[in-house]
Amino acid sequence: MPAIEVVGLERAFGDVRAVQGIDLEVEEGEIYGFLGPNGAGKTTTVRMLTTLLLPTGGRAGVAGHDVVAEARQVRASIGVALQEAALDPLMTGRELIRLQATLQGLPPAAGRKRADELLERVDLAGAADRRVGGYSGGMKRRLDLAAALVHEPRVLFLDEPTTGLDPVSRKTIWEEVRELNDDGTTVFLTTQYLEEADQLADNVGIIDRGRIVAEGTPETLKSEVGTPHVELLVGEGALLEAERVCAELGRLLPSKDGERVLLEVAQGAADIPRVVRALDEAGIAVESLELVRPTLDDVFVAKTGHRLEGEEEAVPV
Amino acid sequence: MEAAAAQATASGWRANLATIAAMTARAKNELLRVPGAAIPGVLAPTIFFLGLNGVFGALIDLRGFDTSSYESFIVPVSMLQGAGFTGAAAGVNLARDYEQGWVDRLLVSPAPRWVLLAGNVLAASARSLVPATFVLAIGFAIGVQWPGLDGLLVCYLMVAAMAAVAACWGSMLALHYKSQSAAPLMQAGMMALVLLTPAYAPLELLQPWLEAVARINPVTHVVEAARQGFVGDVTWAGTWPGIVALVGLLVVLGSLALREMRRTNV
Amino acid sequence: MSGLGTNARVVRALGARSIRQTFRRPQLISPIIVFPTLLLAIQTGGAGAGINLPGFPPVQSFLQFMLAGSMMQSMMLAGNSGGIAFAVDIEMGFTDRLFASPIPRFAIVLGRLAGTAALGLFASVWFLAIGLIFGAHIEGGIPGALLATFLITASSLAVGGIGAAIALRSGSASVVQGLFPLVLVVLFLSSAFFPQELMIEPAKTIAEYNPFSFIVEGVREPIVSGIDAKQTLEAVAAIVGIILLGLALSASALRHRLRVG
Repeated sequence: MPAIEVVGLERAFGDVRAVQGIDLEVEEGEIYGFLGPNGAGKTTTVRMLTTLLLPTGGRAGVAGHDVVAEARQVRASIGVALQEAALDPLMTGRELIRLQATLQGLPPAAGRKRADELLERVDLAGAADRRVGGYSGGMKRRLDLAAALVHEPRVLFLDEPTTGLDPVSRKTIWEEVRELNDDGTTVFLTTQYLEEADQLADNVGIIDRGRIVAEGTPETLKSEVGTPHVELLVGEGALLEAERVCAELGRLLPSKDGERVLLEVAQGAADIPRVVRALDEAGIAVESLELVRPTLDDVFVAKTGHRLEGEEEAVPV
Repeated sequence: MEAAAAQATASGWRANLATIAAMTARAKNELLRVPGAAIPGVLAPTIFFLGLNGVFGALIDLRGFDTSSYESFIVPVSMLQGAGFTGAAAGVNLARDYEQGWVDRLLVSPAPRWVLLAGNVLAASARSLVPATFVLAIGFAIGVQWPGLDGLLVCYLMVAAMAAVAACWGSMLALHYKSQSAAPLMQAGMMALVLLTPAYAPLELLQPWLEAVARINPVTHVVEAARQGFVGDVTWAGTWPGIVALVGLLVVLGSLALREMRRTNV
Repeated sequence: MSGLGTNARVVRALGARSIRQTFRRPQLISPIIVFPTLLLAIQTGGAGAGINLPGFPPVQSFLQFMLAGSMMQSMMLAGNSGGIAFAVDIEMGFTDRLFASPIPRFAIVLGRLAGTAALGLFASVWFLAIGLIFGAHIEGGIPGALLATFLITASSLAVGGIGAAIALRSGSASVVQGLFPLVLVVLFLSSAFFPQELMIEPAKTIAEYNPFSFIVEGVREPIVSGIDAKQTLEAVAAIVGIILLGLALSASALRHRLRVG
């Protein structure tokens, strides 16, 4: 049975249809990355799956329970770390984890033990008895994550867990997520960062304006929009000769600016040595060489006509 | 890694009690960990008590008062006003918690909604005893009559229960509007409820329109029950209407608050 | 930059902003108008029998007596609220922007006070209307109503000045907000809600010398009996005194703020 099953899920706020009928399935033990720009409907979807919001159409099941009819059972099976890092600045880290344990129904002694374990695990043991109000952003996220794990949930929902964090803190969170997944926890992760989805997710769903526009493994999705290619800048007057040599090595792509040679390299970086050798043997000097791989942003552009990160301008599809 | 065991415990009464206790304990942080936070809640009813006594004290010379001490007459009103203020403040805190995302943490847990509400309400009840005691102490200092142990207990019971009523009202508004901007409504509602009663003068001396309102306002019974020991003897006949009124208000406002708690995801 | 004309334009622009801010947020206005109205109803209904006490001044009704006190209450809450808004401006850094420009300092404060004055004007009109609707006579007629309105509006400038001074000195909205109980204390220790002669000691003696008592009496007289020159002059003197105090405190606070940054 899938850990998460969504069929035709919809949510409207008055006339605004934030989520317009999405279908997805997340298997047990999977990390599912839900990728999309701000306002795409990611958080609304997560809030429906975590029973914080009622759907206005369709249905969803989490850990084998319907999110509407069996909301309480869903809540007992999930851990949630929400975007707002819902923490009380007046509590200490330890108090917060213990409170969460109580909310989840753990007996007091078990709750205390679990709090100590988790604080150690997320490297907050030293700060456990300081007030949360004095924690850094990274510490707050780690605490939020620890609180979400207090009852060893089957499914963990992380809503933009590394937004606003520095690269080091981000990597720490990623490691933690991988470890959890190794232990068997299913993870549903929303993010607006390509790299995060690329690095962590087994499967990625790309959402834009309330609809899922693409779904699959990161590699599959990227290969759908193209293979890696190299962009070569050669010496003056050598362009035609370079193109002739490269044409024998693989498929040429249209040059963007009339000055570079674009050559598809199916093996990626592994193909570069033979390209360089061939040009060298032909006496052609290479001024610069760049390996360009398709990104999930390219997938996004291909499906929606605009970029996920950065500019909003439309790109001809 | 089984959630089933946690689920079984979560539905148990022990877990519910533990959750209520934990939430009540958290509520004390606001008073103990924020410097000066307790002051407005204590100061406002005290100022009103001393101010009203200074301003309207001469009313005691009018025929119709059972006592010759205006401060004894109004001290229970100020204590109840403090209870109303404390309960409304619990609503404001809940609204703030909602805005900051804390309430999501509670709503996403398997704890039943009534348990989450009960924690907030009981905390307000407990907190209300602080300003009430302060006002009473000031009152004794300026000449309030000793109400007897029974009078004191009845008064405190009314105060604690009134704070719970106010917390239900405040929580209901907080969960409905999901914003602290509803705070004036929370405060004004409770002020009206406590003061549209024989607060400043006995029923017979009120202006006709206020007398009519006070006769149908259930909190009139609460004020009169709380006032008993301070102006005369405590009797069961003078007490039970106050208890019934408070139970009724708790049932009505508590149900409305619970309804809002359950509808946060609509 | 110089000239009365320029300064006037600046004051007008800042004043317009202050007034817009004030009236665009109903949840901020409601405590200033709603609470005093509620208290007016409750106190009139609850303590109204007091007009039968020997020594109570001759009035048509307790409502007629209380109108001035309710206007005072609104006015003072408006002053407190204006101080809070000013402190928020300081916290946000908006006043830094103004201080860094060649605008005379007094124009900045005066502009801020425009919002408070507008609220004071609104409050006096509101309560006069409430009074008329519920049967109170304005014995001084239209001139009396205008005088009461003028005194309340002027008082709101005075009290607003104190609020602004505190905002400038503390730079913190929560400090100004914490002074709200003081508003109640000052009012209870005046003849806002009951005749001073019938109050209980020590409130009675304090009320006798409280400048706000003079203002309240000045506002009340045209409503309950008619315009009285002596009462009016005493009220004006009290208002001027508070304005001067506010100016002195503001100037000192401004110097402090510009020194400290």
